[in-house]
Amino acid sequence: MNDELILQHGLTLDEFQVIKDYLQRDLTIEELGIFSAMWNEHCCYKTSKKWLKKLPTNNEIVIQGPGENAGIIDVKDNDGIAFKIESHNHPSYIEPFNGSATGVGGILRDIFTMGARPIATLDSIRFGNISSDKTNYLLNGVVQGIGHYGNCIGIPNIGGECEFDQSYDYNNLVNAMAIGHVKNDSIFYSKPKTIGGLIVYIGSKTGKDGIHGASMASDVFSEDDEDEKRPSVQVGDPFMEKLLMEGCLELMSSGLIESMQDMGAAGITSSSVEMASKGNVGVNINLDKVPLRQPLTPYEILLSESQERMLAVINKDDNEKIKKILKKWQIDYEVIGEVTNTKRVVFTSKEKIVVDLPVDIIVDDAPEYDREFSLPKKRKNRNFNKTSLSVDKMISNYMNNLNYLDKSWVYSQYDSTVMGETIKEPGQSSGVVKIQNTDKAIGATTDCNPLYIRINPERGMIYTVLEAYRNLIASNIKPMAITNNLNFASPLDPNIMGEIVLSISGLSHIAKKLDTPIVSGNVSLYNQTNDRPINPTPVIGMVGCNLNWKKLIQNKFISEDDELILLGNSLGVNFSPYYLQDQKIVSSTCEYNELLPPDIDLEIKTAKFIQETANKDLIQSSNDISRGGVFMSLMKMTYKNLGFSIMLDDDDIFCEYSAGYILAVHQKNKDEIINLLNKEQINFLSIGQVKRDTFEINSKKLNYSDMIEKYYKNFANIIN
Amino acid sequence: MSFKSAVITFPGSNCDRDALSYLRDLTYGEVFNIWHEEISLPKVDLVILPGGFSFGDYLRSGAMASKSNIINEVINHANGGRYLLGICNGFQILTETGLLKGALIQNKSIKFLGKDCYIKKKFNNKFNCNIQNNEVLQIPVAHNEGNFYCDQDTLNYLQDEELIAFEYCNGEYSLDDANINGSLHNIAGITNENRNILGMMPHPERAYQDFHASKDGKKIIESILS
Repeated sequence: MNDELILQHGLTLDEFQVIKDYLQRDLTIEELGIFSAMWNEHCCYKTSKKWLKKLPTNNEIVIQGPGENAGIIDVKDNDGIAFKIESHNHPSYIEPFNGSATGVGGILRDIFTMGARPIATLDSIRFGNISSDKTNYLLNGVVQGIGHYGNCIGIPNIGGECEFDQSYDYNNLVNAMAIGHVKNDSIFYSKPKTIGGLIVYIGSKTGKDGIHGASMASDVFSEDDEDEKRPSVQVGDPFMEKLLMEGCLELMSSGLIESMQDMGAAGITSSSVEMASKGNVGVNINLDKVPLRQPLTPYEILLSESQERMLAVINKDDNEKIKKILKKWQIDYEVIGEVTNTKRVVFTSKEKIVVDLPVDIIVDDAPEYDREFSLPKKRKNRNFNKTSLSVDKMISNYMNNLNYLDKSWVYSQYDSTVMGETIKEPGQSSGVVKIQNTDKAIGATTDCNPLYIRINPERGMIYTVLEAYRNLIASNIKPMAITNNLNFASPLDPNIMGEIVLSISGLSHIAKKLDTPIVSGNVSLYNQTNDRPINPTPVIGMVGCNLNWKKLIQNKFISEDDELILLGNSLGVNFSPYYLQDQKIVSSTCEYNELLPPDIDLEIKTAKFIQETANKDLIQSSNDISRGGVFMSLMKMTYKNLGFSIMLDDDDIFCEYSAGYILAVHQKNKDEIINLLNKEQINFLSIGQVKRDTFEINSKKLNYSDMIEKYYKNFANIIN
Repeated sequence: MSFKSAVITFPGSNCDRDALSYLRDLTYGEVFNIWHEEISLPKVDLVILPGGFSFGDYLRSGAMASKSNIINEVINHANGGRYLLGICNGFQILTETGLLKGALIQNKSIKFLGKDCYIKKKFNNKFNCNIQNNEVLQIPVAHNEGNFYCDQDTLNYLQDEELIAFEYCNGEYSLDDANINGSLHNIAGITNENRNILGMMPHPERAYQDFHASKDGKKIIESILS
């Protein structure tokens, strides 16, 4: 086998030598394809594994941690919540509509593969500077793709984030998260149990789409790559996925499935290898039996990433019953092999063995690198001058920046209320759905503060998790567990590797402190084009629960004259990175001061206070404070004609906060809340009241409807 | 006699489960879920054709579903004077079968639209008789093809015969245009001449529970039961 062919498959010559030494023979082209698919970053985490092992992944509520199709947590009474986030960054840059649509399709399959019915999706999407036509094209395509897939299959999108920053000019990010509900005694795993069990193929026919998709996702782009790589993007069919989902859930609830694995990245190869590895068994698959859309070689069948396909193990006796159910759903179904005791993965075609490999070498011997990394330099602290910024100017800077504006242009293209269980739609502090026929509310949010992480990856990551934590607390949802999607540039650069190592360390630290284990995740590296890396973007999805939805708190104002109480500590002008960036005081990353150490104890104490007072119905509504400070938090709380009047130091209105919340409290409960705050020794300020048709800051009156119009309409005005 | 109802499920229907809950919770009667390949329909008082993307919207929204086995039974049901309600994709199926006039074309924005909308009743019928004139209902919409269209004669006919059941309107403090999708005459729902078949784009089954943003969707079932 020549070197060029090996390198084209994304393997290093050293890696290839390891394989050859083990097998003591040359490889077939199909076997080379398998290693290409299984030993890339996307499938085997060769760069990040060493560090990911440090994450806390277990506590008493974790039913399934990382390693399965999705993580599952216990929310009592036999109810479980399965969830995971996954990236589809590279395909979404090359072909935004199909790239993002299949991202949603893939993550939904991860959920229902485990026997869970999907009940919600979220998304986290990032784009470059909006002034370029390319960004506009990507934004339109990605949002339409996410919407198309989720809307058709009928799963509500309940929240997410959408950020614009020039570091994503040539590498936009699309991370999709899905949440499912499962009965804890009916969870399905990918591990086969019976030697001699039939391996069956369920779903769409296999075509040429997506061949080498997983190795593409582990590669740095160069600018002329785009057209060349387009055939590697999969094409999604949400109608087929809807049938597949209903068909699979019916099979599982009828007890006809032993184990199941979706065919995601690296298709039939990775699904069969993973099954064999989990069960410590072998598999024998006849590729001639695979339903095909067009004539394909064994090599192409092995590497195709055609969508909407499942691999399952069944008992021989159930074959006819399964056939009948899947015929009803008009889904292709074929027995393609069996489980063996050989611990080898064997693929045959035309009565010839094309692949015969021990499972061990593919999975356990996959390379693991300890890449060189460097730590960021210490930063000098300085005072920034903001004297030229008037309140009007600061407001105008925020109201003309997409990152601060209401994103209903995005989420009105998503169906947020299908399934009829949505309690909080996008645009609130967190999305919330109810589990059908129960009072349980499941809340979720996605978050990342890339600028914080660029300045200090460890502390920045802690701030990111705390923001997600506050998103849930502000709705009185108890944060329970995390899924992560680590998007970074090339780990071959020691500085980038340093960001990866330190942010994982920060995640580990804060997850332990908050007792919110990481139960699933995904790593996406090489998000860079030539020498332009993305900002470090380790996105987290945080999920929580309130067993009684009636105790949730609104995030919008409810009634006039409610007292506005500010909790938390202002980070001040000098230590609020987004403030400094977006008020155009700082233009280069090296100028920022070191991030202040996050006050985790205060966060936990404040959260506890909010939960306790909310459970006593003492809070009308609340919102957390993040980018844009008190100002943006209040802006988001306005509802119908309910605005506000506040008095507060200018700096503290627009800066970022630690443990920051706004509480709106009915006047009759004001004294009780203040007594409790004093008792708990939590700093607070009474800053004003909810006022009808009013937008008043330090006696300066702004036109209410004008401000509302800007907040809700400027996003569409800017991008159109 | 207790009220009986049924929801038809097509491949790609995704509001069938919601519609079943809606009927169970509000009619207190027996509710059947009927698969599209069935050739008989139990005798019921109301049939709902639910929202979704029946047959993946292949050809046109609702076109394939309008030719499925169960549709003949649904037509017989309606010909017997009993109630038939098509919501969203169900409305599209009703226009494709010819049970209702007009067509639903792509939204004026050329984008999917998922949000709360505001409607009020235009002409009285059994589906809206419990709703006051000028009463504004808040109900979610979620569609890509909800833009009601027909020729001028048909439009005049719908108007003259008082077959327009609901029209989009402005909500209090709403920043958006009343007409969310470009529909002629703000039409959100119409009936047949007999007024026992209603097609509407908004989803009342997503607006009836305590935790929903509005409970106005209840009023349709309450009207039918009254």
